[in-house]
Amino acid sequence: MPETELEILKGITLEIKSGESVAIIGASGSGKSTLLGLLAGLDEASAGRVVIGDTDLSALDEDARALFRAKHVGFVFQSFQLLPALTALENVMLPLELQSQANAEALAQRFLERVGLQSRVSHYPRQLSGGEQQRVAIARAFAADPSILFADEPTGNLDTATGAHIIDLLFELNREEGTTLVLVTHDHNLANRCQRRFVLDSGALVTE
Amino acid sequence: MSVTATKMLARDWRGGELGVLLLALILAVGVVSGISAFATRLQSALVQESHRFLAADLVARSSRTLPEAWLDEAQLRDIEQATTLTFPSMVFAGEEGMQLVSVKAVSDAYPLRGGLTFSEQPFGVVLPAAEGPAPGEVWLESRLFPLLDVSIGDEVFVGDASFTVTAAARTEPDQAASFYGYGPRLLMHYDDIPATGVVQPGSRVEYRQLFAAQPEVIADYKEWLELQLEDDHRLLDVSDGQPGIGNALQRAERFLLLAGSLSVVLAGVAIALAARRFSERHHDYVAIMKSLGATSGKINRLYGTSLLLLGCAATAVGCFLGWSIQAAFFAAFADQLPVQPGPAGIRPYAIGAATSLTCLLCFAWPPLRRLGQASPLRVLRRDTPAENRRTLGDYALGLAAVTLLMWGYSQDWQLTLAILAGLAITVALGLGLALTLLRGGRLVGMRAGSIWRLALAGLQRRGTSNAMQVVIFAMAIMLLLVLVLVRTSLIDEWQTQLPEGTPNHFMLNIGPEDVQPVDQMLRQQNINSEALYPMIRGRIMAVNAIELPQTEDRSEDRRQRESNLTWSDGLPEGNKLYAGQWWEPNTEAPLVSLEREFAERMGIQVGDTLSFVIGSQPLEVTVSSLRELDWQTMRPNFFYVFPPRVLASYPATFMTSFFLPPGDKAFLNDFVRSFPTVTVIEMDVVVEQIRTIVDQVSAAIELVLAIILATGSLVLVAGVQASVDARMHESAILRALGARRGLLLGGLFIEFAALGLFAGLLATVAAEASVYVFQEWVMDMRYSPSPGIWPLGIGLGMLLIAGLGVYNCRKVVSSPPVALLREL
Repeated sequence: MPETELEILKGITLEIKSGESVAIIGASGSGKSTLLGLLAGLDEASAGRVVIGDTDLSALDEDARALFRAKHVGFVFQSFQLLPALTALENVMLPLELQSQANAEALAQRFLERVGLQSRVSHYPRQLSGGEQQRVAIARAFAADPSILFADEPTGNLDTATGAHIIDLLFELNREEGTTLVLVTHDHNLANRCQRRFVLDSGALVTE
Repeated sequence: MSVTATKMLARDWRGGELGVLLLALILAVGVVSGISAFATRLQSALVQESHRFLAADLVARSSRTLPEAWLDEAQLRDIEQATTLTFPSMVFAGEEGMQLVSVKAVSDAYPLRGGLTFSEQPFGVVLPAAEGPAPGEVWLESRLFPLLDVSIGDEVFVGDASFTVTAAARTEPDQAASFYGYGPRLLMHYDDIPATGVVQPGSRVEYRQLFAAQPEVIADYKEWLELQLEDDHRLLDVSDGQPGIGNALQRAERFLLLAGSLSVVLAGVAIALAARRFSERHHDYVAIMKSLGATSGKINRLYGTSLLLLGCAATAVGCFLGWSIQAAFFAAFADQLPVQPGPAGIRPYAIGAATSLTCLLCFAWPPLRRLGQASPLRVLRRDTPAENRRTLGDYALGLAAVTLLMWGYSQDWQLTLAILAGLAITVALGLGLALTLLRGGRLVGMRAGSIWRLALAGLQRRGTSNAMQVVIFAMAIMLLLVLVLVRTSLIDEWQTQLPEGTPNHFMLNIGPEDVQPVDQMLRQQNINSEALYPMIRGRIMAVNAIELPQTEDRSEDRRQRESNLTWSDGLPEGNKLYAGQWWEPNTEAPLVSLEREFAERMGIQVGDTLSFVIGSQPLEVTVSSLRELDWQTMRPNFFYVFPPRVLASYPATFMTSFFLPPGDKAFLNDFVRSFPTVTVIEMDVVVEQIRTIVDQVSAAIELVLAIILATGSLVLVAGVQASVDARMHESAILRALGARRGLLLGGLFIEFAALGLFAGLLATVAAEASVYVFQEWVMDMRYSPSPGIWPLGIGLGMLLIAGLGVYNCRKVVSSPPVALLREL
């Protein structure tokens, strides 16, 4: 990463407790995605540390972080990020297969039912609406039983009504599974549903 | 994971680049295994063919019976044997019939290789014979029947023995090369020789002992035999065989090897391009999978498995394609081949599989391997750079692979290096030229209308990648042009060698007094004969007053030897003057013109003085010119041509050749009866055979060419596809901004057509150069420039690439811009 970008995040110290739901709010270009990338172990920080549970992510290389993500981290993205080549069921099965879980299909099936997509398991992403795609993504995120879930503008590509449904689903599952939720958004209504909120402003973090 | 891999492959099929990858692999495997199976089988046919001319694998020749010990030793080694004995003798029939014939007595097993043919009536339908005449029977050459006034079932006498004529002898595999000296053939059984009493010590006879066995057994035996040889003995093996149609087939084989090597290069390029695009399009997938926790090892395994599955499928289908190609070919022409081609074995398919593996490892794997290093951050930020730069290592790997494949395939460094050099020149020249031309394009384009500005600005913006693309297109077009050119000249050459109406009969020993009547009889029958050539036997003794060695060793070129001399006022038809000057008509100067290759072997140049003995008279002449001629035409050809007046005083007979349609064969009966001293040699069966084979080989070449054209088109498709993504994105934005369909399509058309124009131009120049090198050095043919390919190459390049480009970008005008922008 070019050096100038280092200035995007400045002296951030943030502690999130297990089971907590946290929102990070900020305008476009405030560094939200960069922070999320670092927290989730998608990116390497050039200085500082990210510790999840007992694991210091900054000490791991990309492959070790990948293994860590497979075990502990779930994602919901603004643009869904489903594999177009796989059906809804296969998309949900993918992280389970990556962990070589034996009952991947049954588990995936169950989570698709929980997000209300039992009738669309064999559809491909392009045959699903945006809301349905995001529900597949949510099923995928929870199926792997993550200890921490990162959601990046999960309603950004959806209309208000659908977005609201998705959010309900997300919080409902979060509560049931006892997952830690880190949500990045610029939507204050959405942020208000979280237990804690932080505002990222020009790379600096302020508690709201 | 392999389920995911299969799934991924199945779904990715829609992307297009996978189709190109798979097709390129299939075609590469198909062409490589097909051609190499074809070549292997053809090779075995050619070896058999040369054995056929010996009627054995090894022959010992002598004027006396061969030592019993040799035959016993051969028997010990389980070698098949047969004996033949050839000598001139008189044959008698009825009250007055008598004729000098060339008797050939053969033992039961004869021939060991190749087949004997006969017909039930003279000049009748040719049939294969399982064995020669039984004891007490003889077969006569067709023209002997009218000469002796006998028919099938009649009795003839050779020496003290009488025989029943049971068939007309047609062809023997080891028919003597020399048409001269002996008379027509009489075939009899070897066991009948003692009864005739004609073979006495000192008779002019030739014994031949024929041996056949596995190659290694023969090689061992030959080694043993060579230690036993005395002055009188000669050993003949394949190298002494006379390649008949071998020449045409060998050239066809070389052409096919070239074609195969080129197809490997083309397929490699197509595979590399397709794999690269595949990997580009998969970066997002990989990022998602990585965000879900897939390690690079896992990603590599996934794509490795996909590639392996793809490779296995392509290899299986490709091998089947290859097998079909050669099977179809041999099925179509097995009847015409003089020998049955052997099995191809497993090797061609192993080569096919190795090709597939090498292509995958060296061309497809490098870009896919880097997918494993893709950053998962791309799920958050699309602009995260994709790790997809081709490294120098990739190019080196590709080059090494191409070299290895071409060499492994053709086993010919010369050919491999020639093609590599051609490609290297194309790439180097191409990059320079393309960059220069593209830059020039911008200067001109700046002043043109907006559609042109759009197109040319597009070309300029992607200058380097466009230059690369021009080179790739040029390479593909060049290779295709080379193939088309070589094939055209090859087939043309064959066709002109043996056009319809090629002479299929020779007439020898026409006495000077018969020249007029023979000519007249031919005319009456409406037979178009070549000119009548005089023939005088003469012996060359010395060059520039230095005596040539006296040896009968035929492998020695420089020796005193008998030849047929002829005379002519003008340059004989079908001859080309190579050096020196042709003489003035009616000259009395003691001059001679030599065939070029013969002169080179003898070490004779224009201006040298040659000493001949004709009859018993000496003749000294100066070499005034060298001629080139084609020995494969069925015309009378001569090493030495003299001015008529120089040879006028020597006794000559005349020869000619002519075309006799198959339906008119009965004419020969009348002719031989009218001119009993004239020898007629029937070549119609051979000529027909060669013609058919040439036709079939041409068809095979066309087939292979078509397949390689397909491979070449794949390269073009893959190349265009690779550039489509970036162009689509820009076009979508332009369209969203309100650009009309016409403007966009027009701009794209001009942009691709310009690429095609540069590529076509480059390809044509490079193709001409390569064809020159290839024909002059590799194929041993004469190069002539082909202006026809200039418009072809350039036009083809423009239309094809513009068409493909616009076709592949059609989505940009057919779907709503919003959808496009979202998708891209």
